[in-house]
Amino acid sequence: MNDKLKFRGTILLWFAGIVMSVYGLRLFYLQVVSDDFAISADKNVLKKNVIQPSRGIVYDRNRKIYVTNSPIYDLVIVPKDLYIPDTSIFQEFINLSPQQVRDRITSAKKYSPRKASIFEKQIDANLYAGLQEKLWECEGITTVVRNTRQYRYSAGGSFLGYISEVTKRDIEKSSGYYSQGDLMGASGIERYYEELLRGRKGVKTVMVDVHGREVGAFAEGKYDTLPEKGKDIIIGIDADLQAFGEQLMQKKRGSIVAIEPSSGEILAFVSAPTYDPNLLSGRDLPNQWRNLQNDKMLPLFNRPLMATYPPGSVFKLLNAMTALSEGTITPGTLYGCSRGFARNGGKPGCHQHPSPTNVTTAIQHSCNAYFAGIFVDFLNNSKYKNVQDAYEKWYTYMRLFGAGRKLGVDIPNEKPGNIPTKDYFNKVYGKNRWKGMTVVSLSIGQGEVTMTPLQMANSVCAIANRGYYIQPHFLKNVLDEDIEKDKYLNFDTVQIPIDRGIFDLVAEAMEKVVTAGTASQARVDSIVICGKTGTAQNPGGADHSVFIAFAPKDNPKIAIAVIVENSGWGNSWAAPITALMIEKYLKGRITDQNKLNRILEADLLNVKPTPKKK
Amino acid sequence: MKLSDNRKELSVDWLTVTIWALLVFAGWLNIYAASIDLKMEETSIFDFSLSYGKQFIWILIALVIAFVIMILDTKLLEFLSIPLYIITLISCVAVLFLGREINGARAWFQIGSFGIQPSEFMKITTAMTLATYISRLNFNMENIWHRLICFMIIFVPAGIVLLQNDTGSALVFIAFSLVLFREGLPLIYLLAPTYFGLLALLALIVNEYVLIFCVLALVISSWFFVFKKKLWLAHIGVILISALAVFGTDLVINKVLEPHQRERIYALFNPNSDPLGNGWNITQSKIAIGSGGVFGKGYLKGTQTKFDFVPEQDTDFIFCTIGEEHGWVGSILLLGVWFFLFRRIIYLAEHSKSKYARIYGYGVFSVLFFHLTVNVGMTIGLLPVIGIPLPFFSYGGSSLFAFTILLFLLLNHYTYRVNILSS
Repeated sequence: MNDKLKFRGTILLWFAGIVMSVYGLRLFYLQVVSDDFAISADKNVLKKNVIQPSRGIVYDRNRKIYVTNSPIYDLVIVPKDLYIPDTSIFQEFINLSPQQVRDRITSAKKYSPRKASIFEKQIDANLYAGLQEKLWECEGITTVVRNTRQYRYSAGGSFLGYISEVTKRDIEKSSGYYSQGDLMGASGIERYYEELLRGRKGVKTVMVDVHGREVGAFAEGKYDTLPEKGKDIIIGIDADLQAFGEQLMQKKRGSIVAIEPSSGEILAFVSAPTYDPNLLSGRDLPNQWRNLQNDKMLPLFNRPLMATYPPGSVFKLLNAMTALSEGTITPGTLYGCSRGFARNGGKPGCHQHPSPTNVTTAIQHSCNAYFAGIFVDFLNNSKYKNVQDAYEKWYTYMRLFGAGRKLGVDIPNEKPGNIPTKDYFNKVYGKNRWKGMTVVSLSIGQGEVTMTPLQMANSVCAIANRGYYIQPHFLKNVLDEDIEKDKYLNFDTVQIPIDRGIFDLVAEAMEKVVTAGTASQARVDSIVICGKTGTAQNPGGADHSVFIAFAPKDNPKIAIAVIVENSGWGNSWAAPITALMIEKYLKGRITDQNKLNRILEADLLNVKPTPKKK
Repeated sequence: MKLSDNRKELSVDWLTVTIWALLVFAGWLNIYAASIDLKMEETSIFDFSLSYGKQFIWILIALVIAFVIMILDTKLLEFLSIPLYIITLISCVAVLFLGREINGARAWFQIGSFGIQPSEFMKITTAMTLATYISRLNFNMENIWHRLICFMIIFVPAGIVLLQNDTGSALVFIAFSLVLFREGLPLIYLLAPTYFGLLALLALIVNEYVLIFCVLALVISSWFFVFKKKLWLAHIGVILISALAVFGTDLVINKVLEPHQRERIYALFNPNSDPLGNGWNITQSKIAIGSGGVFGKGYLKGTQTKFDFVPEQDTDFIFCTIGEEHGWVGSILLLGVWFFLFRRIIYLAEHSKSKYARIYGYGVFSVLFFHLTVNVGMTIGLLPVIGIPLPFFSYGGSSLFAFTILLFLLLNHYTYRVNILSS
């Protein structure tokens, strides 16, 4: 035999061996080295079904349920299994014509005949109850229940916010928590405390076949997690007071902010005009939101937080305390008033009142000349190196009172208002080219200074507390033992380094404002109210009516700032509204029905400017 | 010579029989694993309405066939080689007109519910005829005419199978050139087509002109460094063949191949370009195997094969089931068993006393080796998707019977040899 060719058999065996070694290495790469394939395999076969947790409930300070959940229903269809004997059943309840029904089925089929697609979203419980009676004869339609928010008081949209479907950006930022179709807080408390309220999603992993059909639980549910309910929270708002405040402010533009001085908890937070928060809940959200967004009355504009007003006479209190604290005046220092600030050619002007005044009577009568005088003399005081140095000192005080900076309230979009810096004036007038007289309008809260209603109410807290305030906030408590309370319930206390005696003096003067001064309308039987009127000049239209107050004088329970835009003097509208709010909160009822009716009936949306008077 | 059946049974090569049984049994278990649906109620592996139940019947029949083959007289088989070759050849032609079309190939006779694929048996008779012809006393591999007849024995049936539109089965016949190599065919007959094929494949991914420039550079540098003299004829031949491969590929791909074949070749290079279309098979097959890891997911625990992500999972892509459920260890073990079988076949071939048996043995090796290489190579994404079964493993009666006959004919010859020696 040709044994000389036998080696060729060996070569062939070697060849087979080499091929198989190459395959072995290739398999080693596929199976051992690279995990891409294992990941792709999981992607193929594993589907995570998310179970949404129910969102935390919000209670008001009196433990009344404020925000809760109500079920909404999504209809889901699997086109392959679909059988609808009568396509007109949808017309009555969810307003879908048979043609629209057919279109939706067609597009669902296009997506996948075997996989479930959403047919109609967010049907509310009432409509669903009706529809359900008709659905029993259909096949291939299932219902997915979700929770939506229900607001028990139709008030407080401005701070509660709303929840809506997450945006692409939210998903990217959430590092994997959110996925498309999830709901999350879009503004207000719903947004700020999203992490507390949302709870934790549960996941059930199921296996799907090549057609996307579910074929059973993965690993007997070993990796499945149960959803964890969101945390219930208590907010400092008094829901009844809030609703009352919104009632008072109907047909008006403006804000009410009421704070409990001892805790910094916000009691009422009214933005007028407002909207019913229930409008932004459920299936009509996009339309309703668009309507509100396009409303010329700007109901979505969060005035207490974002509207910045010249604080007007309210600002005089801060200036008085600054001057007293720095010793540039004493309680007995007198300034004359000749219906205006004579040293500046009668500007700013003033009204008829006893003259000369000390600090108490000046506050009582809101004397412009007095405050212009002490402010100019403060800035020009020889105690300071120069005007800039004095201004810097003044600026520091204003910041301490919480003006010109964000207070860090626990809802988004807070505006800082404005206290101009010395650099600002250096830029406008040139360095060393401005003096006290140049910026005299700051003395009476006009000119460049602006404050938000929240800042005004907060500064009142400082006076009410005679020397400190606690960062204003909504969250009162989290109803959960395990939560780190410090992380959520730690609010700064800001001490103001001014003698208590000065605060007492100012409080005394504020009492007189109500009893024998500019704010007769703020009087309430058997409650000692300390207040201050303001009339903020508004170049664009009628003056804003401003009033700030706290009550009672000793051991105050409420500090409040009320602004009614374009309505005139502080005493005419803001003061009585303040009085009603204080009485409602402290007594729980209103004694003067005439006062209440006058406010409820007043339509102050179109007031013509009146001749200026101070 | 007359042999008693008793002595014959004793001398059977039980090692090969054991490997055969192992592969067939493992194949059956894997067909079960690939076909059951976890959603369905517990089903019996003997449910005869389903593929694994049917395969069980095919296995029983294959056992009977194996037994019948073993008691046949080898002389008779040698004598019948050429007549059987002609009969199968005629069947292959007849199927073109009378056959049933499955997946675009007209390669099946339908007899009741059972389909017979004559090309499966054509491989056996080709191996037998090749053995008969080469073992003739006056055969000389040096003789160009004898070579030509060898090629005709191989490529006439290959051509007819190609006409059936069954490219995979037709390609199998190329494997017989390994038999000729063993019997003295010069290496150039294997190297030249391989070179041609590789160059053609390269032409698909590399620019034609760059490729031909490289070839020229290699040839010219070989003048100076390898041969030190100019072999004009050889060099010009190489260049011409190279040019044909490089520029011909484009022509063949775009003008000759069916669109689905063309797509499959492109899918091999870049399965991700069309992961849901032609790349689907390759991508899903690699995912299934790749997700198996070192030790696999465990028997019946594979998800990719179970939920129909891998197509043709009980026939051509059966290897995925092993890769997924038994991991790298299982895959290597299977390849190891195959390598052991090849070694055994070559051993049997080399130790048979008759030249016919040796040549037939290499025929068996070539066919099985080609099937394994192409089938596994396809599932792991190294070769294009060519639909040929994994011998003994894939679901299907026709192929199981054919491979069983192929292997047991060799065992019969070996038994015959043992008997000669012991008588």
